[in-house]
Amino acid sequence: MKLGFIAYKNMISKPLNMVLSLLLLVLSVSLVTFVLQLSKQLNGQMDKNINPIDMVVGAKGSPLQLVLSSVLHIDAPTGNIQLAEAGQIINHPFVDFAIPVSYGDNYRGYRILGTDPAYLERYGAILQQGRLYNTTFELVAGSAVVKKLGLNIGDRVVSSHGLAATGGEAHDDKPYTIVGILEPSGTVIDQLLICNLKSIWDAHDHGDEGHENQGHQEGETDKGHKGHDHDEVEHHPEEGDDHDHSAEEHHNEHGEHHHGDGDGGEEHAEEEHDHGEDGHNHSEEEHHHEDGAHDHDHDEEKEITSLLVKFKNPIGLVQLPRFINENTNMQAALPGFEIQRLMGLLGSGAKTLNGIAIAILLVSGFSIFISLLKTIRERRQELALLRTYGLGTRKLLYLVFFEGLFLAFIGFLSGWLLGRLALVLASRYIEAGYGYVLQINGPDFVELLLLGATLLIAIIAVFLASTSIFKLNISKILGDA
Amino acid sequence: MVKTKGLHFQYPGTEAFNFPDIDLSTNSHLAILGPSGVGKTTLLHLLSGILPASSGTIFINDTEITSLDRKALDKFRGAHIGLIFQQYHFIKSLNVEENLQLRQYFPSKIKEKERREAMAERLGLVEHLRKKVTQLSQGQQQRLSIALGLIHQPKVVFADEPTSNLDDANCAKVLGVLKEEADLCGSSLVIITHDKRVTQHFKNQLVL
Repeated sequence: MKLGFIAYKNMISKPLNMVLSLLLLVLSVSLVTFVLQLSKQLNGQMDKNINPIDMVVGAKGSPLQLVLSSVLHIDAPTGNIQLAEAGQIINHPFVDFAIPVSYGDNYRGYRILGTDPAYLERYGAILQQGRLYNTTFELVAGSAVVKKLGLNIGDRVVSSHGLAATGGEAHDDKPYTIVGILEPSGTVIDQLLICNLKSIWDAHDHGDEGHENQGHQEGETDKGHKGHDHDEVEHHPEEGDDHDHSAEEHHNEHGEHHHGDGDGGEEHAEEEHDHGEDGHNHSEEEHHHEDGAHDHDHDEEKEITSLLVKFKNPIGLVQLPRFINENTNMQAALPGFEIQRLMGLLGSGAKTLNGIAIAILLVSGFSIFISLLKTIRERRQELALLRTYGLGTRKLLYLVFFEGLFLAFIGFLSGWLLGRLALVLASRYIEAGYGYVLQINGPDFVELLLLGATLLIAIIAVFLASTSIFKLNISKILGDA
Repeated sequence: MVKTKGLHFQYPGTEAFNFPDIDLSTNSHLAILGPSGVGKTTLLHLLSGILPASSGTIFINDTEITSLDRKALDKFRGAHIGLIFQQYHFIKSLNVEENLQLRQYFPSKIKEKERREAMAERLGLVEHLRKKVTQLSQGQQQRLSIALGLIHQPKVVFADEPTSNLDDANCAKVLGVLKEEADLCGSSLVIITHDKRVTQHFKNQLVL
């Protein structure tokens, strides 16, 4: 018969009292751990996702939107940019690497991203099965997509237009084949289906009938009016998802030359140059009068959504974004800066929540103190009886001490579990909305510190509550009938 | 076994009690009688060491408990003294058996299961060992408190008015059980009571 056993029995003998005194503690611990985990994981995931990239170049619009859409893949793109214009940046001496990305389609809600294999390299992606894509309409699938959709190597998937799972037009004439599956990386690539750029271009390079049905494909049925088509290109960037179509439309008009091409966008564009000359000269001037780079003028018909850039040195960070924003039709956004700005806004929310939680924690310490004080008062007879059984004052103190620590520990544990439960629910919500999965980890260092703080508060509460134990008048307590 | 000399006690601001000297030999029993208000319970509390005497000495089993410090006294009381209160006191969160185990365990860490069961058998508590103490009937509670006074084989067991609420038949029965158990445990029994029915059961009597 150990003191701990008696303390435990005492504690559970009045479950309602226990729950009442623990309620605040559970609440505060769950709140603190939940907020800590959420902000830690989101920050960690953000960092992992944005670290490989110093700058995003995309269509003009909100820089935050550009970063969210092109780096974190959780927002609609700002529009498209022309590969020709982006090409100047790719070859800039300050640029270490620049990866073009293009997207606009999804498979059951997961984005299909057209990009160079360098993209996968930058995120440290490792193939778990299969191989990388080496021609069009081959897909490498991120681990979360595979897990969620149950995909296998060799599966054929039909993409649909747009970024949402429903409502888009299905490109059922151009199915993709899964050729590779990536290991989980904890980055945004887990949530993506990745192919080469040309696949994205080709996916939209289909017969005109398909587009005629869609009301929002304005003007695309006007095959004959080439000038008109160019207007489309001009204003499409503001229209979100539809811009790809107009680019592809041009392809159609130039002929089917890209079917035999390699997957590099630039070579492709070169070839196109020859074809396009005849049909498009008149409109070229409209667009590129300030550009002058006529070697590349047909790259303009190839569009990408954005260009992900890593600088060679910090000078690039200082000079290039300003240059791009001031001198081109594109905008440059710095993911680190934009995300920091966003987190600054969210972070103050997290701080407020944490402050509230700490306040509740202190109040919960007080409630444990009150509860122990009440327990000691109610059990004066039992404590006196234990003295007649030979338990000294110190042992009685231990008994109350154990009970206080039990309370604190159980409160912390339930609070911690509740916090994790909330994290699971939040994870489901975030996954459905943004494709992020939160990890359910064991206790981390800060949470262990919190446990320490909780136990410390309990110990203080015990000492304050237990002073009456030293003044126990056994004779009076047990003798008074 | 129990020996007192010049025992004197005074509650602050009230009249003082002067108790006659007691000299009780080993394995013999004593009834302390007297009307209400003469300090019977006070004497019992002094003898069992839960109330410090104002002056005088008490020897129990040749240990002068009036000279022990609080810690040593707690320990001595736990090991060598049994108490049966007028009001029953148990640890309510523990069941009957756990209450008995607890009394056995402190301070000498005895865990004799056989002894516990034999005693429960004799006192008709065997089928109630798993019950909560609050579920016991009045009579069962009284028998449990007797068991708790003796389970650890004390040198002396003090009982405060053990028969005051009982009819004649039950009074005789409880006194019988008490003496029998005390004899079996090798303990001296000291009863304080105002109950005249008790006198016929005790050779040694002290009237206050």
